[in-house]
Amino acid sequence: MARIGVFVCHCGENISATVDCHKVAETVGKLKHVAFSTDYKYMCSDPGQTLIKEAIKEHNLTGIVVSACSPRMHEPTFRKAAAEAGLNPFLCEMANLREHCSWVHEKNDMTTDKAIDLVRTLVEKVKINSALQPIKVPVTKTALVIGGGIAGIQSALDIANTGHKVILVERSPSIGGHMSQLSETFPTLDCSQCILTPRMVEVAQHPNITLYTYAEVEGLDGFIGNFTVKIRKKSKSLDEKICTGCGLCTTKCPQKKIPNEFEEGLGFRPAIYVPFPQAVPNKPVIDREHCTYYIKGKCKVCEVVCPTKAIRFDQPDEVIEVQIGAIVIATGFDIKRADFFPEYGFGKYKDVIDGLQFERLASASGPTSGAILRPSDGQVPKNIVFVACAGSRDPAKGIAYCSKICCMYTAKHAMLYKHKVHEGKASIFYMDIRSAGKNYEEFVRRAIEEDYVNYIRGRVSTIYERDGKLIVKGVDTLLGGQPVEIVADMVVLATAGVANHGAEELAQRLHVSYDSHKFFAEAHPKLKPVETNTAGIFLAGACQNPKDIPDSVSQASGAAVKVAALFSQNELTREPLVAFVNRTAPPLYSTCVGCFLCQSVCPYQAIEREDFKTRDGKIIKTVAKINEGLCQGCGTCVALCRSKSIDLHGYTNNQMYTEVMALLNEY
Amino acid sequence: MINLVSRADELLESKAVQVVIGYEAGSTGKARPAFITDPSKTGSLIFDDRCVQNLAVYLTKKEVRYFGKAAIVATLPIMRSIMMLISEQQVFAENIVVLGVSAEGKYIDIAGIEVMQQYIATCDLGNPAKDQETLAMLNKMSTQQKFDFWQKELSKCIKCYACRQACPMCYCTRCAVECNQPQWIPVQSNLHGNTDWHILRAMHLAGRCISCGECGRACPVNIPCHLLTMHMADQVHNYFNVYAGTTDKMSSVMSTFEPNDKESFIQ
Repeated sequence: MARIGVFVCHCGENISATVDCHKVAETVGKLKHVAFSTDYKYMCSDPGQTLIKEAIKEHNLTGIVVSACSPRMHEPTFRKAAAEAGLNPFLCEMANLREHCSWVHEKNDMTTDKAIDLVRTLVEKVKINSALQPIKVPVTKTALVIGGGIAGIQSALDIANTGHKVILVERSPSIGGHMSQLSETFPTLDCSQCILTPRMVEVAQHPNITLYTYAEVEGLDGFIGNFTVKIRKKSKSLDEKICTGCGLCTTKCPQKKIPNEFEEGLGFRPAIYVPFPQAVPNKPVIDREHCTYYIKGKCKVCEVVCPTKAIRFDQPDEVIEVQIGAIVIATGFDIKRADFFPEYGFGKYKDVIDGLQFERLASASGPTSGAILRPSDGQVPKNIVFVACAGSRDPAKGIAYCSKICCMYTAKHAMLYKHKVHEGKASIFYMDIRSAGKNYEEFVRRAIEEDYVNYIRGRVSTIYERDGKLIVKGVDTLLGGQPVEIVADMVVLATAGVANHGAEELAQRLHVSYDSHKFFAEAHPKLKPVETNTAGIFLAGACQNPKDIPDSVSQASGAAVKVAALFSQNELTREPLVAFVNRTAPPLYSTCVGCFLCQSVCPYQAIEREDFKTRDGKIIKTVAKINEGLCQGCGTCVALCRSKSIDLHGYTNNQMYTEVMALLNEY
Repeated sequence: MINLVSRADELLESKAVQVVIGYEAGSTGKARPAFITDPSKTGSLIFDDRCVQNLAVYLTKKEVRYFGKAAIVATLPIMRSIMMLISEQQVFAENIVVLGVSAEGKYIDIAGIEVMQQYIATCDLGNPAKDQETLAMLNKMSTQQKFDFWQKELSKCIKCYACRQACPMCYCTRCAVECNQPQWIPVQSNLHGNTDWHILRAMHLAGRCISCGECGRACPVNIPCHLLTMHMADQVHNYFNVYAGTTDKMSSVMSTFEPNDKESFIQ
């Protein structure tokens, strides 16, 4: 026989101002099976909780309904109180008299009647609630970090330093990412490589980090704490254990005219190459697409010159499967390049370049050893124009968002230029200067006031070539929209930051959501900026949206803490509010007929197959099985199942039906 | 039907199959389903205008499965049923042999699922002409007229579930109507519960009905309940450009999402 307790909270005056709480308690107290009913000013307070606990013990209650605020607010509080009094926490239900009743209605009898109805339905529900036990899931304490840019490096190091194993996967031959390409960094103008390379080396030498470069994530199965990841280690065509990284092969390779990705096409590299001198690992790979041997079938110069005989032309790709418990996605971003800006002649005029190309020109290790020279004729540009928001904040171009980093790096570029070409003239066309960040505004002021950078508020309409000069036509909106024409030697476009290539495919492989710009989506824009919608998968850096280095690094450390918190437990405890497939006596075993339509509808890939077998292993029947670790309890499968063979713990069809019937029936 | 008989004979003789599911002449002049396990009895197989039942319904029956591998005489709706049953993993392609019969009643050699798929692709998959006419007439009615029409029809329902039993796609071992915790559909026959049942049945067959019309034919009180599922088949084709039972790897329109799905019905 059910003995239900009802506790009506006044929530100060939040509920009692419009609902007659005493009448609610009194009316519900007369219902069948309600053994105890009372109202109190603050149920969530210590005396309120004590009242509940005492009543559970004194009246030997088999279920309670706390009629107060939203369960999002205090369900954990009251379930904990119930548990402390010896009642299974899932035998405690909450009727939301605040958000669903008192806050949205005026004070009158109907409001009180509605409150009574809300409590009544839950009294009926809690009568048939089952005692549920939390689900325990083991945790594999190894993390996977995808992407070896600064965010990935930071995350990997932070996780590794907590004592957990990390696998860092990077698809290019070296870690370092875009940061390794940068010349100097705002707002301090310290050399990017100088602050980055020690971290890269630390990754390579850290005992807890396994580094796979030239590798990509091919597939992911499993769930939080228990993922299985498939990693394709692309063939480097050499034996890394033997290779000493002497670099002889890279100097002797006859193929020398391959556009260098690291130099953003401003330089060339051989077919067997190390992306940049400080690369980690500092061992070459053969680019099979451009290597003469793989194209024509002969050459093998590198094999001949290699002093340790490390070249392996027939080395296949290797696909490995690894068990991991958590994932940090740090795949970074890319920038818009040629053909997106026909009006600016980008890709047509050699001296119209993008921000990353300028970084290489300004970098001491770049193709010009740090001298700012025009790509067309190698002359020092006397007049340089920077165009901010090239593509960004331009809904007509399909990119409505602000790329965030351009204002700052454009100020830096102009500054670097002025530091190197003292007599030169630098102008910046901008829409707004967005310099929110520590010491950022001061940095921009320095560019304007100390380095005399000419800031023009307005957009550039077109750029064309005349007599070897670039004519930049724009407008100065601060002068009432006056047209401006600058005869420039070189133009740098601060092109929009966009999702990295392959981001969409990776998101699909990892089953995480992404936005319309293919950036990875966070679980909550404010309160869960590091989490994805898939439990156990976190985000770091510019793969979420364009970010500068400090933001990427802080988010990377945030993601690392999330991983460390997950790994601090040996078992994960999950709420048992998950779906289940019913069981019946043989020969049916379950009413599930195994049509598996639920499998395609499940957004969490939580539905597996289960075979019933005879003792000699013959399959009698195959039915659906819910993976409790993956199931989020959304109930989509329950709604879809034609034979009503799936149900949801805590919200069973029967419980829902009972609630509806309670509302329809007289009391 | 010499080809059909000789092929059935050959299959049973060589023990390639253990049972042939086909039609034979019944005692009242109607055709009835035949389950032939003895090669000497294949002569009783017939195929003519009287052979209308959808034999695919037997493929999922425990008593028929008990025989072992089955050969089945299949017209277009039966072939489409088989495709759906394979898609929904109720029948395994390797456990059946299809003895195809064309619309003209000619034997067609169906060597495998791919051949069957190619054959289905050449056929008109819309609803039968006669039913299309009735549906067009119903669709012209006002909502109230349609409601009145169905209330009148459904008031006749005696909840015998013959419609369900005749349908090859209603293969659940426990139907939703038999679920009594909670009792979704009233057990007794009343207009309200009858309406519930027929709406539920139509929804469960949305995107799965292969327009054989067996449910309506099986109804002892002549409710044209096949029009409900056929209308759903029409709708699914309009919105998702899908006809049920065209391949053995059908994904259910009700449980899949394609980015180019029409959403005009969400209002």
